[in-house]
Amino acid sequence: MEIYLPIAELSINVFVLLGLGAAAGLLAGMFGVGGGFLATPLLIFVGIPPAVAVASQANQVIANSVSSLQVQLRRGNVDLRMGAVLLLGGMIGSTAGVALFTYLKNIGQIDFVIAVLYVVMLSTIGLLMLTESLRTYIKRRRNPGAPRGKLHTHYLVHRLPLKLRFYKSKLYISALLPVGVGFVIGILSAILGVGGGFVLVPAMIYLLGMPTTVVIGTSNFQILFVAANVTFLQAVTNGTVDVVLALLLILGGVVGAPIGSRLAAKLPGVVLRGLMSVLILAVAAQLLVELLRTPSLPFSLGAREALQ
Amino acid sequence: MRRLMMILAASFALAATASAQGPRIDAPTPAPLPGTGLGGSTVPGAPPSVPIESETPELIVDLSRARVSITSAFHGESILMFGMFDPPGEIVVVVAGPPARETVMRKERVLGLWLNTGRQAFLDVPAYYAIAASQPLQRLLARGAGGEILSLEDRLSTIRPDGSRDPAELAKFRNGLVEVKRDEGLYPAAIGQVTVQAGRLFRVDLPFPSRLPEGVYDVRAYLLRDGRIVAAVSRPLPVGKVGFSAQLAGWASHDGALYGLGAIFMALLAGWLGGALVRRL
Repeated sequence: MEIYLPIAELSINVFVLLGLGAAAGLLAGMFGVGGGFLATPLLIFVGIPPAVAVASQANQVIANSVSSLQVQLRRGNVDLRMGAVLLLGGMIGSTAGVALFTYLKNIGQIDFVIAVLYVVMLSTIGLLMLTESLRTYIKRRRNPGAPRGKLHTHYLVHRLPLKLRFYKSKLYISALLPVGVGFVIGILSAILGVGGGFVLVPAMIYLLGMPTTVVIGTSNFQILFVAANVTFLQAVTNGTVDVVLALLLILGGVVGAPIGSRLAAKLPGVVLRGLMSVLILAVAAQLLVELLRTPSLPFSLGAREALQ
Repeated sequence: MRRLMMILAASFALAATASAQGPRIDAPTPAPLPGTGLGGSTVPGAPPSVPIESETPELIVDLSRARVSITSAFHGESILMFGMFDPPGEIVVVVAGPPARETVMRKERVLGLWLNTGRQAFLDVPAYYAIAASQPLQRLLARGAGGEILSLEDRLSTIRPDGSRDPAELAKFRNGLVEVKRDEGLYPAAIGQVTVQAGRLFRVDLPFPSRLPEGVYDVRAYLLRDGRIVAAVSRPLPVGKVGFSAQLAGWASHDGALYGLGAIFMALLAGWLGGALVRRL
């Protein structure tokens, strides 16, 4: 069954999009991160213009994070103060990111930049996850039940000015650090259409030293508002948000997420992370091949401008 | 001057008959004067004119649909053009999309990676261009009297570049443009087949791909005799989004802020409902 996407201006099989949404939802359910960083490259593979894929994916991220945020708020796992400081950086970052996106789009380099950033980001994350899960796997095989060591050290955190007390996170750190983290995530969110949870969550744990209980909820809080900002700005400046595309991805995600969390409960975490890292690396490799391979058509067309 | 008067008269006559009866026929497009025979004298550079001899049109055409509607279920469409002509003769149909400024970008390998390095804009690029004929086109136009019937190559040789560039480079960009358009199904490489029945009825399927730019397309049918155009009829074919997708696209382009807020609200609602639903299960 084909459906015409009014903004992407092409018709595509509904089930391809639902399936993609479900796959992203599956990942979200399994790992607690939004599947945006895999869904966007896959949308590009199936022929959606990268600019539309990124902007519509940001729209989908809103739905994803609002449903998780509901649960996290109810459980009291959101550090609103930390969330607000992160969000300050996130808003500035995403606004700057959309401006950068628009500039790159106008000079005809946005597709290239999206592809390169995805290759760098996915291969880094994929390799880190793969080595981590292999190491854990080997360690557990050698002496099962060994406790994990302490994960973070404070070095940079205590030297910066503008210290703030974050009661819920039990932290007394410079506000500049979360603002900076939020800023970077905001830029990523605007250019890549991702929520950025897969970068934000490790940054919150390892860089800010937040307790893991509040990390997911607080990152959801920041991601929700940043994604909304990106959606709004993309709609205003580039007109690239396709709500039909976003809605199909959301619907797929609704189906995929519970399957993912059920799978996650059954399979051991090491195996899950290993599988996920292989998947991420495969997508990165495919994107890299696209960049390296001689294109069948070295030409492409920019936007049509009707004659007056 | 006299010729001009006669063109006007013929146009009015045709318009009158058209409004009085059956299928509407637009005023014939100016076509080269048949002259007095093979050696007929046509002034070079003079505007082509319509054959005047008949008040009854020699060529009647219609389309199976008045417009191409891009709905949510649109995945390309085939429109049938059919009609009748006074034999003998051959039929050529030319479909041209609205002209627009298009930017062609060229990728080159830089440090092993392929990225856009050059761009060239052209000012009046037809969104779509297809030709169909009842006989191989070369044979029909062999005598060089095809007049305004242009092959894709001829049509594109007339597009104007925005800014100046080395002619060889321009040709490369122009070829690139054709390749991309062909890849999208907008410049079909093959000449379509016009089927003629009983010597005077004709029909032709005009295929439109799913990635179809909007605008008013021009569908033109020509009646040729001895390699000359004796009659030409033009039909406008509007291509546009309708219904839900039209509303959404219009909304997105006219009021991006409201559209953006709507998109956010939609996602919030869908996410909230979806989440509630999943937790129920």
